Amino acid sequence: MPPFLIALYGNLLNGAILGAVYGMMTMGLSLIFGVLRIVNVGHGAFIMVGAYTAFFLFTLYGIPPLLAVPFSFIIGMGLGALFFYTVIKRLIDSPELTTLLATFSFGVLLEEVAKLLWGPDYRGFNWEVGSLHLPFVTIPLEKLYAFLASVSMALILYIWFKKGRSGMAIRAIMEDREGASCCGINVDGMYGLSFSIGIALTVASGSLLTLFIPVGIHPYMGGIYTLKAFVIAVLGGLSSPWGAFFGGFIFGLVENGAYSLFGLVPGLEPFSMTYFAAFLILLILLLIRPEGLLGANGG
Amino acid sequence: MRQYIPFLPVVAIYGTLFLTGLLLEGMWQPMALLAFYGALGQVFNIFLGLTGYVDFGYVAFLAIGSYGMAIAASSLYEDLGWWIVPTGFVLAFIMASFLSIAVGAIALRLKGAYFAIATIGVSEGLRYLIEGTGLWGGSMGIIVSRPLREAFGREGANSLSTFWADSILYGIALVAAFITLMILKSRAGYAFLAMREDEEAARVMGIDTTRYKLLAFFISASLGGLIGASAWTLKMNYVFPSDVFDIVYTIEAIIIVLLGGSGTLLGPLVGGLVYGALKYWLAVTFPGLQLLLFAPLILVIIVAFPQGIIGILRERMGSAFRGVIL
Amino acid sequence: MKIRVLLLSILLILPSIATAGEAILIGGPISLSGKYAKEGEQGFIGFKVAEKWVNEVYGGVRIGNRRVPIRYVYYDDESKKENVTSLVERLIKVDGVRFLLAPYSSGLTLAGAPVAEKYGALYMSHGGASDRIFEQGFRYVVQTIGPASSYQRSVVDMVKAIDPSARRVALLFEDSEFSRTVMMGVKGYLKEKGMKIVFERAYPRNVKDLTPVLTEMKARRPEILLGGGHFADGQLLAKQMGDLGVDVKAASILVAPTLPAFAKTLGKEANGFIAPAHWEKGVRFNRENSKGIGLGYFGPSQEWFIREFKKESGGLEPEYHAANAMASILAYVKAIELAGTTDVDRVRDAMDRLHFVPFYGEWKIDPETGKQVGHKMILIQWQKGRKEIVWPEEAQTARPCYPMASCPGR
Repeated sequence: MPPFLIALYGNLLNGAILGAVYGMMTMGLSLIFGVLRIVNVGHGAFIMVGAYTAFFLFTLYGIPPLLAVPFSFIIGMGLGALFFYTVIKRLIDSPELTTLLATFSFGVLLEEVAKLLWGPDYRGFNWEVGSLHLPFVTIPLEKLYAFLASVSMALILYIWFKKGRSGMAIRAIMEDREGASCCGINVDGMYGLSFSIGIALTVASGSLLTLFIPVGIHPYMGGIYTLKAFVIAVLGGLSSPWGAFFGGFIFGLVENGAYSLFGLVPGLEPFSMTYFAAFLILLILLLIRPEGLLGANGG
Repeated sequence: MRQYIPFLPVVAIYGTLFLTGLLLEGMWQPMALLAFYGALGQVFNIFLGLTGYVDFGYVAFLAIGSYGMAIAASSLYEDLGWWIVPTGFVLAFIMASFLSIAVGAIALRLKGAYFAIATIGVSEGLRYLIEGTGLWGGSMGIIVSRPLREAFGREGANSLSTFWADSILYGIALVAAFITLMILKSRAGYAFLAMREDEEAARVMGIDTTRYKLLAFFISASLGGLIGASAWTLKMNYVFPSDVFDIVYTIEAIIIVLLGGSGTLLGPLVGGLVYGALKYWLAVTFPGLQLLLFAPLILVIIVAFPQGIIGILRERMGSAFRGVIL
Repeated sequence: MKIRVLLLSILLILPSIATAGEAILIGGPISLSGKYAKEGEQGFIGFKVAEKWVNEVYGGVRIGNRRVPIRYVYYDDESKKENVTSLVERLIKVDGVRFLLAPYSSGLTLAGAPVAEKYGALYMSHGGASDRIFEQGFRYVVQTIGPASSYQRSVVDMVKAIDPSARRVALLFEDSEFSRTVMMGVKGYLKEKGMKIVFERAYPRNVKDLTPVLTEMKARRPEILLGGGHFADGQLLAKQMGDLGVDVKAASILVAPTLPAFAKTLGKEANGFIAPAHWEKGVRFNRENSKGIGLGYFGPSQEWFIREFKKESGGLEPEYHAANAMASILAYVKAIELAGTTDVDRVRDAMDRLHFVPFYGEWKIDPETGKQVGHKMILIQWQKGRKEIVWPEEAQTARPCYPMASCPGR
């Protein structure tokens, strides 16, 4: 194979694996938007919390990062509930302005508390479990684990959403809030539940992310993930967690595949151009298909 | 003349800031910081306050304006001498206007959260376009200290950066406040009010909502470009893309408007004063902890006083005062 | 509400706690929060330790036959340029500081420069490395940190000395003002030395996955890698080079390998990585070996500095940001003594003549621009989990291991 194709193939494979983690990372954002119509601008800060959880469990107690995921999920539930009942509950029908600012402020608060507790240092760890050798490429096994864990978590969520009692209630609210409330669904309680689960998924994805990128754990690490999550969420239709999961896949593929293509143009920095391309796609999609690539809406 | 009375408190406050800076030792820069926040809020309010749309990528207009000035200063100083500054402002205005028309024509079709996300996309995308293609110096940016020194001399360049750049900011803030007043008092003001309440209904009633939104967007953006040109390029003497496309400025603008009272004339100014003073005071008294203290404060304000300081004042005061405070 | 606004404005106008009787005020804005909080913390403690040495050990600045203590004054700038200008003015006009310490980073340093220039206060850059600051024609801006363009040059010298046949160089760096200046500084030098650049790419700030660019680089089979930018990306670069099996003979990465966290995270994969540094624990500058240089040695010993730094910070290890910071204050003290006065213009003139060695290494500026020309970068390399100084030869604590794969412990 010519070197360009080998590189493209390697990049696409990497993109697919990373894409699953990206998808997982965005499901919480979409769930919260789908149910409460709130964009969580502090998204990245919750990812940061998950990354620190994995880091401390591994370095202090030797717990492998994969097993940190349930811990992070529980921490996320707690944080989500706290944030919901102190702030979000009072803002449900407020204009975007207030909810955007509230989620942003909560994110800043988390970052500053993290800095106070754990200092401004960059942390990281090294969990070595070997590599998988495929033709032309080598894939570290921990990345593969992250991929599998993301896919299985998405599946569990899917089953809960389709079959679980509370999952169905939440779907009903997404379709029609007044109607759901008439059918005897406790709308406020379900808001709290979906917000907490949304945050919990985000925190858990932060732990998964450390399998992929175990370095650079830092109080302010989340910003770029917030931006990526926005693009991914729009790819998936913004209000659909499944759409978001597949959006993550597509994003991972585009981001990595576009690198090879931009690299062919002299005078361009292909890496920055992939970021540019991502935001360009975001704009185009918002204009022509705001319901997302898959047209999925509300699950 | 009665309709201009609400403008008096605005002039009085900016005048006080200006004189305090001029007369008290060491107060010029802190007052200029307050004026920066006031101007930022005033200009941002024209769009956010009047339409209720949240432009989360607003900083792009300040950034593009700062590039306008930097391009004029760094490439034309040999031919134009001191004319680079007016040329820079014209260029900043034009570039910001073009961007606002392009973005407005596209993104203003979107509503609510979709609009907010689209505008973040514009701002971040533009930044990576500049870095990725190496446009305008790419990530190296443009430094204009040397050109300004060549054009104005040492003393001239120093006073341009430490006095005139700030004074121009006061001017921009006043112009923005005046435009806000004119809009609020005109027919357009009622159109905006109707739109904010219910855009669909307003459209049905025959209000050309797209035109009004675009108008507010355009005014807000082009004035924002002038702020970037003055407060960043002229004052700081450098433009690095990672510095000027910083989402924090958008957030600050939102906080200021919300704090003071969105859609009011005096709100952004009061919000800017309180925000700027609070931050400065926290930086001086609790170095390193100000963000930790600030974030919960914002949360409390959002939950307890969503209508902002001026909003509360207007509610509490008798009707006689409502004519004065807008 | 009005009353609150009024109260705040009164608080604003109140001057800070009265200036101490007779002390030379040295100070500046420092990033204790925001994106430069980490580097700011190091610099901040470095300044505190310097203040302590000058007052308690040295006995104050010698002016005529008097000994005058110094006092370090600071405010947090939150890593934001707007805050820098007003804090610099406050320091000059309200606190009366005439000897300023610029904030961290080239951008923030540029932001405060016009204010310092206007009031004619000296403005010492300890964390603004960009050469471009010193091409702007400022008079009162002087530099202690070595200029960015010099960072990666000594790596080229080292490789040429060990392996004259090495030619293929890859440049892979963060897309920021700082790292681009570094790379532009080394590109010309590489050509001069007959090396060939086979790969050159920048990656954006905040990058989280370098797989595509490393795959592309691997295919070009470079022998030497020069790259990096700041800490997070540099560590990611080293980590993913290991993951993808990118094998080069020498890899020099900016910033990241100089910090202990680098090896703590990467374990044995850290061994072999090289980084340029301004200062490193174990650099041997002392009274004896600095006799031939200008005014000779000045300041505490390295051991004293490390001990006091740990005490002041509650156990942190000093990094070169701290050493830069301390050297800046020592340079002020020495320049004031040389001028025999605290008159700013005379101190600035004295700085042109100042040539001395603190524990940090030589200090000498270019009189024309204020740029640091005396200071030389050293190279560190991780070997067997320890950070060794491998270049220049006279400062070595260990011989460099080359090629990288031969490094003990790797």
